[in-house]
Amino acid sequence: MTEGRAPRGTPAAAGIDLSVDLAPNNPHELRLSNPVIAASGCFGYGQEYAGVIDVQRLGAFVSKGVTPLPRRGNAMPRIAEGPAGMLNAIGLQNPGIRGFVKKYPRVWANWRVPALVNISAESVEDYAMMAAVLDEEPGIAGIEINVSCPNVAQGGYCFGWDAEMSAEVTRAVRAATTLPVIVKLSPGAVDIVGVALAVEEAGADAVSLINTLVGMAIDVKRRRPVLANVTGGLSGPAIKPVALRMVYQVAAAVRVPVVGMGGIMGLDDALEFFLAGASAIQVGTAIFAQPGMVIRLIDGLEAWMAKEGVASLAEIVGAAQPQEKSQVVGAEDADLALGAVAAG
Amino acid sequence: MIDPEAGRAERADQVPAGDGGSVVRAREFVGGIVAVEPAMGDSLLLTMSAPEQMVRQLRAGRFFEVLCRDDASYDPLLRRPFSVFRSDPTASTLTFLVRPYGRGSAWLAERPVGTRLDVLGPLGNTYEIPPRARNLLLVAGGVGAAPLVMLADEAVRRGLSVTFAMGAAGAAGLLEPSLLPSEVEYVVATEDGSKGHRGYVTEVLADYVRWADQIFACGPEPMYRSLRAAIQPLRVGGKPPVQISIERAMACGVGACLACVVETRHGTQASCVDGPVYDLDEVIW
Repeated sequence: MTEGRAPRGTPAAAGIDLSVDLAPNNPHELRLSNPVIAASGCFGYGQEYAGVIDVQRLGAFVSKGVTPLPRRGNAMPRIAEGPAGMLNAIGLQNPGIRGFVKKYPRVWANWRVPALVNISAESVEDYAMMAAVLDEEPGIAGIEINVSCPNVAQGGYCFGWDAEMSAEVTRAVRAATTLPVIVKLSPGAVDIVGVALAVEEAGADAVSLINTLVGMAIDVKRRRPVLANVTGGLSGPAIKPVALRMVYQVAAAVRVPVVGMGGIMGLDDALEFFLAGASAIQVGTAIFAQPGMVIRLIDGLEAWMAKEGVASLAEIVGAAQPQEKSQVVGAEDADLALGAVAAG
Repeated sequence: MIDPEAGRAERADQVPAGDGGSVVRAREFVGGIVAVEPAMGDSLLLTMSAPEQMVRQLRAGRFFEVLCRDDASYDPLLRRPFSVFRSDPTASTLTFLVRPYGRGSAWLAERPVGTRLDVLGPLGNTYEIPPRARNLLLVAGGVGAAPLVMLADEAVRRGLSVTFAMGAAGAAGLLEPSLLPSEVEYVVATEDGSKGHRGYVTEVLADYVRWADQIFACGPEPMYRSLRAAIQPLRVGGKPPVQISIERAMACGVGACLACVVETRHGTQASCVDGPVYDLDEVIW
C-alpha cells in the first residue's frame, strides 16, 4: 500500500479523491463524486428513499428497470428469503418508457446525484428505441443495459448469456445515444469474460456485474415453490463470493471501467470489490435492510483511505490482481488457519 | 394502456393524516427494549424506546420494520414489519405484538430487555376515523389485533363507542381484556369454543354491523373474504364502510421494491406506502 500521502485522522481529510469517471472514452463522461451507486431495482426511482437518506450524497443511482411497454409484474408472492440472501421475482413492474419519461427525468434534472436508467427489452430494436427516447431527456446521466432478458427472436434465449447477442444490443444502443452506456452482465453467461470483451468491443463505456443468480425456494408445508413465478433472482451476501470472482476475472480482461456488485453489506465487502478491480460499486439488497448503510459506506471509505494513506481510489482498484501478489493470510482470515487455533 | 403505478402516493414521507396535516416521515433509528410481557398464548408484547416526537405523532395503522438479527449476522437478511400495538408519548415508547412464527419474529421474541433494536419507520398510512363516526366496530383476527388496540385507544380518547370483536383458534389466542380500554365492549369467538362464540368472529357481527358507522378490521386475508361475505347483506350503499389492513411479504417498506403490491380499483399499489390500510371495497381479491 502507498505510504501516508494524505493526512490521517478526520474522514474529510484533504487530498482524498473519491471521484471516478465511468465513461473515460465518452465526451459526456460519467463523473461521480464517489464510487457508491444504488443498484437498479433496489432504489425505486430515487424518490422513494429521498425522505429516508440523503440521496444526493450517492455517487449515482440506477433507476428501476424500464421496458418498452408498461408491465404489471408477476403474481404474488414476489419475494422469498434464503440463507443470507433474498429471492425476487417482481417481474419488472414499471410504467413503460413513455410513462417513465413523463414522470421522472424532469425531477432528476434538479438533482445533484447522477441518475442512470436501467433498460430491459426483448428485442434489439426495442433496446435501441428506448435509448433513443432517453437520449432526448434531461436529467439522465447514463444508461445501464440489463441484458438478462429473453431474446424473443432467439426463442427466448437470454441476451446476456451469449457474447454476440449482448454485443448486438450494445451496438444498437450505442448507435442510438451518445449518453454513457453501461452493460450489466448476467452471471448466467457461459463465459462472462467473453461477454464483457464483446460488449466492450461493441461500444460499452463500462460494464457492471453481477446481476442476480437464478434460484428458488420451496414451501415444505404446502409442497409448492414459494414464489408465484417459481424461480427468482438471488441477491445479498449469499452471492458475494461468486460476484467477486466474476468481477476479478472481467476486470483482468477489459480496459473499460468495471462496476462491481453482489452482496455488498458494508465497507469491507466494498473494499474487496475495489481490490478485485471494480472502479465503482453498486449496493442493492442491503439498502432494503439498512438504507443508511450506503451513506456510512461513503464516509467509511473516505476514513479508510485517510487512515491507509490512499489518496485516490485508483491506487487500490485491481490491487489484488496477480501483479500485486501476496501470499500472506490476511487478518480477516487468520482464524481459518490452523495456527490461529493453536494460538487461541 | 395500463399504468401500474396509477394512484400511488408520491412519497413515503408525505403520508396524509386525517387531520389534514402530514405524519412524521420514516427514518432508521436505534431503540432499546424496555419491557417484554407475555400476551396471547405464545406471543408477547415488546416495548422499546423511540424518538419522543415520533411517538407523539404516531397514529394507528402505521408500522415499523425491525432488523431481526445480530450485528455479526446477515440472517435473516430482511427486516420484519410490525404494527404498533400501543404508543406511550410520556415514556417515549412503542409496543409491538410479536408472535414467533418465522425466523425473524422468533429471534425478536427471544431478545432480553436492554437489547438495542435497529428500526425503520414509521411506515405506511393510517386507519382514518371519519369525523362524524360515533360507533366503531373493530374486528381482529389473531396478531391482527395489534393496530386495532391502538385504534381503540385513540377512539376512546375521542369519546367514541367501540366494540372490539376478536377471533382466535382457542381462548389462549385471545387478547386479555385488561389490554383494552375499559370503555370498550369486547366480543370474542373461538374455533374450539373454549371462550365466547364457537366458530369464526365473522359469525357474531350482525347486530354490530347495523350499529356501526365505521368498521375497521385487521387479520389474515381469508378473514377479510369471510368478513365481506358475512356483512354484505347487512350493508346499505356500501355503509358502514370497512377499512382493512393488508399484510404482504415486503422488503423495503418505502415503495421501492414493489414486492408487496395490492391490486386495487385505482391500479396496482405498493401496500407499504399506499397501504397497509385500504377500503375493503377498493381491493380486488
